[in-house]
Order: sequence, then C-alpha cells, then structure tokens
Amino acid sequence: MRRLKALMLMTMISALLLPGIARGQTAKFRIGCALPLTGVFGRDGNLVKDAYAYWADTINAKGGITIKGKNYPVELLFFDDKSDQAESAKLVERLATFEKVDLILGGFGSDSVFAASAITEKYKYPMVSGGASSNKLFERGFKYYFSTLGKATEEVRGCVEIADMLNPRPKTAAIIGSDVLFTSLAAEGYKSYLKKLNIELVYSELFPLSLDDYNSLLFKVKQKNPDMLLVGSHLVVALKVMKALKEVDFMPKMVAFSYGPTVPDFIKSLGKDAEYVIAAAEWAPNLKYKDAVFGTARQLNEAYFKKYGRYPDYVEVASIGGALTEQWAIEKLGLVPPLKEADRVRIMEELYKMDVMTVYGRIKFGPDGANVEHPPIAVQVQNGKLVTVFPKDAAEKPVWYPAKAWKERKQ
Amino acid sequence: MEGEKAVVALLLQALVTGLLMGGVYAAYSSGFSLIFGVMNIVNIFHGELIMIGAFTTYWLFTLYHVDPFLTLPVSILSASLLGYVIQRFLINRVVEAPPMMSYLCTFGIHLILANLALLAWSADFRTVTTSYSGEGFSVGPITVPLARLATFGIAIVTTFAIYWFLEKNRHGKAIRAASQDKEMARLVGIDIRKVYALTFALGAGITGMAGGLISTYFVIYPQMGLPYTITAFCVVVLGGMGYIPGALVGGLLLGIIQSLTATYLTSGLSVAITFILLFIILILKPQGIMGRGAVE
Repeated sequence: MRRLKALMLMTMISALLLPGIARGQTAKFRIGCALPLTGVFGRDGNLVKDAYAYWADTINAKGGITIKGKNYPVELLFFDDKSDQAESAKLVERLATFEKVDLILGGFGSDSVFAASAITEKYKYPMVSGGASSNKLFERGFKYYFSTLGKATEEVRGCVEIADMLNPRPKTAAIIGSDVLFTSLAAEGYKSYLKKLNIELVYSELFPLSLDDYNSLLFKVKQKNPDMLLVGSHLVVALKVMKALKEVDFMPKMVAFSYGPTVPDFIKSLGKDAEYVIAAAEWAPNLKYKDAVFGTARQLNEAYFKKYGRYPDYVEVASIGGALTEQWAIEKLGLVPPLKEADRVRIMEELYKMDVMTVYGRIKFGPDGANVEHPPIAVQVQNGKLVTVFPKDAAEKPVWYPAKAWKERKQ
Repeated sequence: MEGEKAVVALLLQALVTGLLMGGVYAAYSSGFSLIFGVMNIVNIFHGELIMIGAFTTYWLFTLYHVDPFLTLPVSILSASLLGYVIQRFLINRVVEAPPMMSYLCTFGIHLILANLALLAWSADFRTVTTSYSGEGFSVGPITVPLARLATFGIAIVTTFAIYWFLEKNRHGKAIRAASQDKEMARLVGIDIRKVYALTFALGAGITGMAGGLISTYFVIYPQMGLPYTITAFCVVVLGGMGYIPGALVGGLLLGIIQSLTATYLTSGLSVAITFILLFIILILKPQGIMGRGAVE
C-alpha cells in the first residue's frame, strides 16, 4: 500500500514537471495575450485572437522566426479577460510572472489595455497594441507601450472631414456615445473636428453601456433633426443604435460610427438596413500597403477569407502589424528564446527606432508610443460591402449622400 | 404654437416609448414572479431562459426563414422543456432547503447554461432582421414600432391568462394551494413536486416566448442573461414578489419612469433610476406598489 502511494506521488510530481521538461527541449517563442473572449467585447476580442493566430500560423508555416539561420516557432497563449479590466491586469501579471512568456501582445479595448499595460510596464514587457486607441494610454509617460492605431480622437477625423466632400454640405450634427474610455474620446474627437469645420453641434449625450432602451435617446435626437449623427461606439452599441434608429423612424443624412460597422457581424446582422452607414477605419484592402511576410493588403484580405471565411477588420490588421514590429525587432537584434529582461529592454529601444512599411501601412512610433504615420480613413456600407470613401485620393467609390429615409428604401 | 406642439409631442412620445418598453419588461418578468410566488425561488438563470428563447427564434429564422412570430411556440416549448427538466432533476432537490441552497443551485445553472451557449454559438452579437424589422406606424407626431406593440399586447394577454389559470383552473388552483400551504396541499393529495415542475415549465415557457419576441429588436448573445435577470428582479419587486399582475404594473411603471428620465434628464440616470426605485420600494413598501406581494 505504501509503495502504491509513493508511486502515485511520483507520477503526480513527474506529471507536474513534464511541461517544464518539454519547455526546455524545444526552443520556441512563447507569446501570451489576455483578450476579452467573452462579455461585452467578446466578439471584438475573438477577432484579435484570430489575427494573432493568423500571424503565428503564417510565421510557423515557414518554420518560425529565423534568427541566424535557425528557426524558432511561435507558440501563443490566450487568456480570457471576460471584458473586465481588473481581470486583464491579473492575467497579464500571470503571463509575466508565472508563465514567464517571452513577449506579451496587446489585448482589446482601451480600458483593459490601460490596466494591462501598467503591468507590462512594471515587468518591462514591450506591448504593441492594435486594439486600443484612447488618448489616455499615451499620456502616462510609459516607455513600453506602443500602438499601431491612431489616437481615438484622431481616428474619427475622416468621419467628420468627409463633410467637405458632401453636397449639400451638412450644417448640423449630433453626437452620442457610450461613456467608456474609447467611445467618449471618439465623441470628444468628433466635437473638435466639427468645430474646425464650423458645423453646428445641436445635441450631444453620453450614456452607460448598460442602457437597455435606446429609443428614448434617439427620439430626442430625432427632434433636433441633425444632418449628421456621429456615434462613439463599439460593435454592440452600433448595432443597438441602428436598431433603434429604425424603430424611431429616423435617418439623418449621414450616420457614422467610431467602431462597429467594420466588424463582419454588423452587415450580416442588419442586412440591407446597414446601407449608407459610415465608419472610421484605419485600414482597407484597396490601399497600397505591403510587406515581405503577408504581401499586399489585397492579398492578405483574400488569404484571410480563405482561412476564416470572412474578411479581416482593421483592428485585426492593426494587431498583425503590431505583432510584426515585435517580430522584426527580435530578428534585427538576433535574439533567441527564452528572452530575458535585458532582451526586452532592447526590443523596446528598437521599436522606437523603427520606421517600416507593413501590410497594415506605415508604422513609426512617436515618443509616446502612438503610431504617428498612419492616416485615418472612412468606409461606407454600399450594396452590402465596405467601400473606402475617404480620403479622396484613396476612395474606391464616391460617398452615397444623403442617406435615404427608412420608408423610401426598397426591401 | 409650433414650439408648444413639439413639447407635447415629445412628452407623448416619451410616454408611449415607456409604455411599450414596460410591456417588454412585463413580458420577460412575469415568469420570474410566478416561479418565485409558488416555489419561493429567486431564479438566477431566468435570463438564460430568455436567451434560449431568443436563440431558438434566431436559429429558426436564420436557418429556415421562419417568421419570428411563428417561432414563438417553439421558443415556449424549448424553454419550458429545459425549465421542466432542470426543476425536476435539480431544483426539486433543494426546493425545501434554506433559500441560500436554491440561490447557489440556480446561480450554478446560470453559469453552465451561459457558458454552454458560448461554446455552441460563440460570443457573436446577433439580431433577427426581418423585412418588417423596425417598421412602425405614426399617429400624428408619435411613432409606434410594431414589434414592440405586439410584445406589449402579448404581455398583457399572458399576464391575464396566467392570472385566470391560477384563479379558475383546477391545476392552477393546485399550484396556488401548494404555494400557500405545502403540508395541507400534500394532505389533500396534491403531488407537490409535480406541481412545482409544472409551474417551472409554465414560468420558463412564457420567459422563453419573451426571449423570442425581443430577438427582433434587441441584440442577442450567449452572455446576455444576467442583466435581464437583474431587471426582472427589479420589476417583480416593484410590482410585488409573486403577485402576477404586479409584474405587469411594475414593468409598465419602470418603463415609463425610465423613458421620462431618459427624455428629460439623461440616459445615464435612467439606468440608475431602476435601482433607486428598487431601494425605495424595498424600504417603504416591501410588498410592492400594489401591496399584494409576498414578504419574507
């Protein structure tokens, strides 16, 4: 009996040690990430997960990251932060201290990334995010936080400046948005660009994410009858606003969202009701971007469709761009796994020196970690597809304006 | 004159919007009240029953193009079947234990159902968009969305149907007897466990139906349940725990107050007002505004 117990104990101990032994044998880059795979941002978080997996699979298909002629495959570890920022910080701390991963990739959602990047800063992990853009992320004097997206307030520039291309030019606008970090900043951005363009702001209100019924709010907007309705949104807010707009029977001449319509579910869920909607974006497949790993923007778009049965959202391509910068920094420095703290410091320094063209566009990080060389664009849903409509020189098609009232649309 | 008209129109619109939203609240809260009234169980997986009903409608519509209103019987059936099975095999074991046991039990089921749905259907946000989605009609300056009007009507009909069932029908009377005096009911030959399972199936069924209804104008996803449970709890406390017409009154009241707050103050306050009301009622009138609810 005692022998049996001892045997069992040994088996248990060796089972516990096994992953460690396996870890020692094959040299690979272990890269972790905390993402909202469930909860309010569950859909958005899963997109970013797909994007990182796409990047890793592409690299691993060639054997991995090549350092001095030797290939080191990439292994990804995903944790679900349940759309909760405290959870995100906790999981990232676990990645840094318990899992001891080589690198930590950026999550999704400004609030979560805000909390998580404080942890990566503490443990000196460079974090390049493609799924968060609130200005506050860049105002903390952090050295290890980078973003491939523009700042939230600047991301929505296209949605407002497009007014100059419209005939008749819109005179009035209303701004609504949920009062979380990213969307309230988008609302702030809308406001400042409206001022620059001398468009009158007739109504503005922020509401909590937990708001059940959008109808009362949109009736108020309807009464003000603005030419433009600008919404600070994530996917679920964008869907709810569209549903409510139809129920209150109101369609302004132009409606734009800071985020949401570029996620495939938007058009899939709303069908024809999604037509005319304009959205801020940072990437579109028709732009002339390319790199050696993924080819042109168009090629990435098609290859992505082959793998996932859907086209990538700009946040996904921004995340791929972010992973690429870290990969290139490692390659340039010739670092091999496991990465030590000194290695990660060198990666951080290398990222600041970087000025590269990627499939996502040009990436050059400013002193605050924001991508300073990336112009925002605006897309519109036309015949069930996203079409680039702003800026003029990148536009695939002219913008549809004014949007038809609900009653005049054919089903 | 023009300005005055606009003011009146806005007020009327706010009242109509609130009334219709109240109908939605009532539709998905009456099942919660029924189950509490009879079994004294605060059903924490109530929201998941709504989710099951909503997804039943969604899948039938998406895969087979069945009109959402025609899918309602299937939504009722799937939710009540689930409710029946869970009650029969799980809740019946804790129904006479201290309340904490049933909280834990239903909370566990809430987690299991939400996560199973997440595995099966992923975290995608979905919505049923029919050719008539969002359609409505206008009475003067007031816009009335059709789907919500239908929900409102159905909520009223169900409330009265259940009320009638409990007051007049033999099975309904057995349910009431069981809720009033378990021991006495047993003595006169009522099979309490059967009554409980029947009640649960009924409560779950009307909840599932509400889920089917809301899928046409709300966004649905596997983890949508908990906020609905919380709202249902507030509605039922407002109207009186366990008193069926109370769910209707509580729902309408909450809907109208929220809508007026959102229209004249801010949308943010309209969310807070739910809980402010909850506190006021619990302190001043724990039997609900109708004074007919159960108090422990």
